[in-house]
Amino acid sequence: MNSEGEVTSLLTAWSKGDPNALNELMPLVYNELHRMARRAWSGQQGVTLQPTALINEAYLKLAGAGNTSFQNRSHFFAVACTAMRQILVNHAKSRHAGKRGSGQFDLSLDDVQVSVNQEAAEVVALHEALERLQAIDERKSKVVEMRYFGGFSIEETAQALGISVITANRDWRLARTWLIREMSGEKP
Amino acid sequence: MNPQADWEQIERLFHEAVDLPAHERQTLLDSAPAAVRAEVESLLKAEDNTFLAVPPVHLAADLVDHQPGALAAGQKIGRYEIESLVTVGGMGEVYLARDPHGAPVALKILRRHLVLSPQAVDRFETEARAASALRHPNIITVCESGESAAGLFIAMEWVDGRTIRQVMNEGTVGPVRAADWSAQASRALAAAHAAGILHRDIKPDNMIVRNDGVLKILDFGLARLAGPVRIEPDSIGASGTISGTLSGTLLYMSPEILRGETATSASDVFSLGALLYELWTGRHPFAGETPLDVYEAIEGRLVAPPSTVRPGIPPAIDALILRMLDRDPDHRPSTADACEVFSKSSTTP
Repeated sequence: MNSEGEVTSLLTAWSKGDPNALNELMPLVYNELHRMARRAWSGQQGVTLQPTALINEAYLKLAGAGNTSFQNRSHFFAVACTAMRQILVNHAKSRHAGKRGSGQFDLSLDDVQVSVNQEAAEVVALHEALERLQAIDERKSKVVEMRYFGGFSIEETAQALGISVITANRDWRLARTWLIREMSGEKP
Repeated sequence: MNPQADWEQIERLFHEAVDLPAHERQTLLDSAPAAVRAEVESLLKAEDNTFLAVPPVHLAADLVDHQPGALAAGQKIGRYEIESLVTVGGMGEVYLARDPHGAPVALKILRRHLVLSPQAVDRFETEARAASALRHPNIITVCESGESAAGLFIAMEWVDGRTIRQVMNEGTVGPVRAADWSAQASRALAAAHAAGILHRDIKPDNMIVRNDGVLKILDFGLARLAGPVRIEPDSIGASGTISGTLSGTLLYMSPEILRGETATSASDVFSLGALLYELWTGRHPFAGETPLDVYEAIEGRLVAPPSTVRPGIPPAIDALILRMLDRDPDHRPSTADACEVFSKSSTTP
């Protein structure tokens, strides 16, 4: 089966409640997104850097332009945001681990490296906090995943998750606040 | 209690309370069970609308960075023509380029993916603004900043020389050069302070000595107009990620910055004091095996007078450097005072 047919039938199987479909789908989506990200972000000018655009492109590529099933598309986006989260967190982790103790004194540029490494550490911490949120309230962690790692708007997130815009907004607001509190380590 | 039921109550109360004026919020919270109330109060304190606003794409830097120095010789950036790559750093690259008259310029380019990092863009623009607001022979001149197809760029005066870090790595700096560079560096910083601009990142890597002996201060990327600017303690690695690159900066941080307090011109004076101590004696006053050692040394180590490390340092300079390293910012001399002492000493070696 070609990847178009495969992805489409996996999406359909998953929406019918087959949990194994997701396990097969995830690596396909991850690999495709990773490959596309590497190409898009490797320095060609005028190519978008936004994860949302990559995810849309990946959908067309993997599921085919002819696949107009709204439900398949929504499910695909949800899976793709999880894959995007993995990609970004893995890279943040490697950056974070790789830069320790390099002892380089470069011509005036290294503080940015420090601050970017710091951001990388924060993304890893966020990822871990998000796992704890998922245990309490899975939908809210999904909203954060789509908004933050996938770059989707509130409306797109609501559509993909099959919830109202108001609910998505409320989820987003509480989840974000919960995560800030969780990451600051200030428990009541 | 059932944690799920708790969570639902917490969620409901949070949304009811979050947009209320303070006094109504309090009444509402008071009516809730203690555990729910405590949780919601702690959440309300944490509210921040800017958190998670931008996808962290720029952090996937190893996806992006495998072509550093991607600009080829002859390529045009604005009205400048790339000649060669000088250095690659976290923020981007510095190239040697030529302006339309053939004069050399240093072209600093913000790495493309960093355009998505508000912090990096802010820093880049700050550098362009702060340095171009300053006209001083000992401060690097910014010719132009702008945006090209390759991203944001800053065109700066080209300096043929070595950083003080490089010079110190190669061996001892004699008292004549030390006096001369002390005078030039303090003059530059005094001029910035007089214009109300703090550097905030004074260190030997940020000072370059041109081959003809003129010293230039670079990198106003962290500069701010003087005033209550807080450097979050976070930015020095609260999450335990103290890297080698960081310790380079840590060595020149003042105790008040380490404590997360507001940077003032006295903080720049402290950093310059640490740099000059090292320049005159060849030994860093707060050197340590680990970042934690350095941290503790800055916080509390008794600093021996420079003359005890290297005999022959003039008493006025000995005393001045010690005062620059006073832990109390109020007891440090101003850059203008320091400038006066150093200027006298460099003309009468």
